Amino acid sequence: MRRGLLLVLTLSALVAACSGGGGIEVDDPWARTSASSQNNGAVYMVIKGGDTADRLIEVSVPTSVAAVTQIHESMMTEDEDGEDMMMMQEVGSIDIPADGEAVLEPGGFHIMLMQLAEPLEVGNEFTVTLTFETADQVDVTVEIREG
Amino acid sequence: MASLRANDSARRPLGGVLTKPFLFISTLVLASVLLGACSEPTLGGMVRTPEPYVGDVSLPDASDGERDFLTIAEENEILVVYFGYTQCPDICPTTMSDLRKAVEDLGRDGDRVDVAFITVDPERDTPEHITGYVQSFFDDGHALRTEDVARLEKAVLSYGAAFSITTDADGTVEVGHSALLYAVDSTGHILVQWPFGTLPEDMTNDLKILLRKET
Repeated sequence: MRRGLLLVLTLSALVAACSGGGGIEVDDPWARTSASSQNNGAVYMVIKGGDTADRLIEVSVPTSVAAVTQIHESMMTEDEDGEDMMMMQEVGSIDIPADGEAVLEPGGFHIMLMQLAEPLEVGNEFTVTLTFETADQVDVTVEIREG
Repeated sequence: MASLRANDSARRPLGGVLTKPFLFISTLVLASVLLGACSEPTLGGMVRTPEPYVGDVSLPDASDGERDFLTIAEENEILVVYFGYTQCPDICPTTMSDLRKAVEDLGRDGDRVDVAFITVDPERDTPEHITGYVQSFFDDGHALRTEDVARLEKAVLSYGAAFSITTDADGTVEVGHSALLYAVDSTGHILVQWPFGTLPEDMTNDLKILLRKET
């Protein structure tokens, strides 16, 4: 009984070690449908880190999807009167903690697609290529979802 | 009923630590929770006092032949107002999409919610652009747009909102804007406002309360 358990544990450890180049894994990549006359879009996902800390340093999509792709972050700031204001800015990279995760979600980090070639429509999907400082490049298939 | 629950927990193995004062207090807490459930439901969004008046804010409605639109709800309705821009890929579509969900979940009462989207980026948001954008979320949504900066600023001030537009040396336009939805009643007052990230179901609940008050 105990030996059986040990075997299972060993096997699952081996399987875990094999998956994902450099240990990076990506969960649930998605983009919202783009409204008519909306030029830009955003892609969200959860990037799970491997054994060592890493950084997402570059993102790209085929030009058939968008002309420019950047890493952005939406953040709350204050204007000179102290009113809350939402700003969005390009960031050079996103830290992926070892054994942790970086969450790209509405209102936070996201991959910004600029000058969309075509509207993002439900049922379609596209590929985003993620480049990391250390880990191998990862291609993820992004699902387009209704709002 | 409340004391029954307290006795129930006293029968569990932990009952030994349930002293009399503890039982008394927990009964009180439970009773007040139960009473609270019976009383008037409260708004989940932010309520400002005094309720700001925005019924005199008027902007051209690009979706209605540039006719001036007063940001005031019709009788028995609620008008939800938002400041944003169409090139915004993250905050604005997320907010519009959440609001759409909230309104859809009202069922037939959803017809009593009107939406107005005020662009803070009129230079890039042409009348056609802004109309198409707003109406892709709400069929009858109002696309408010003015190139008169003073007029836009007056509207922003009335709502206690904020926006900024800057252009970098390389031509990149940076836009900042309040990420709040404002629910305005038929007297032109902001009854509640929802910050970015408010769950659609919480907006639905608030809208139900506001619509009940309107009838």
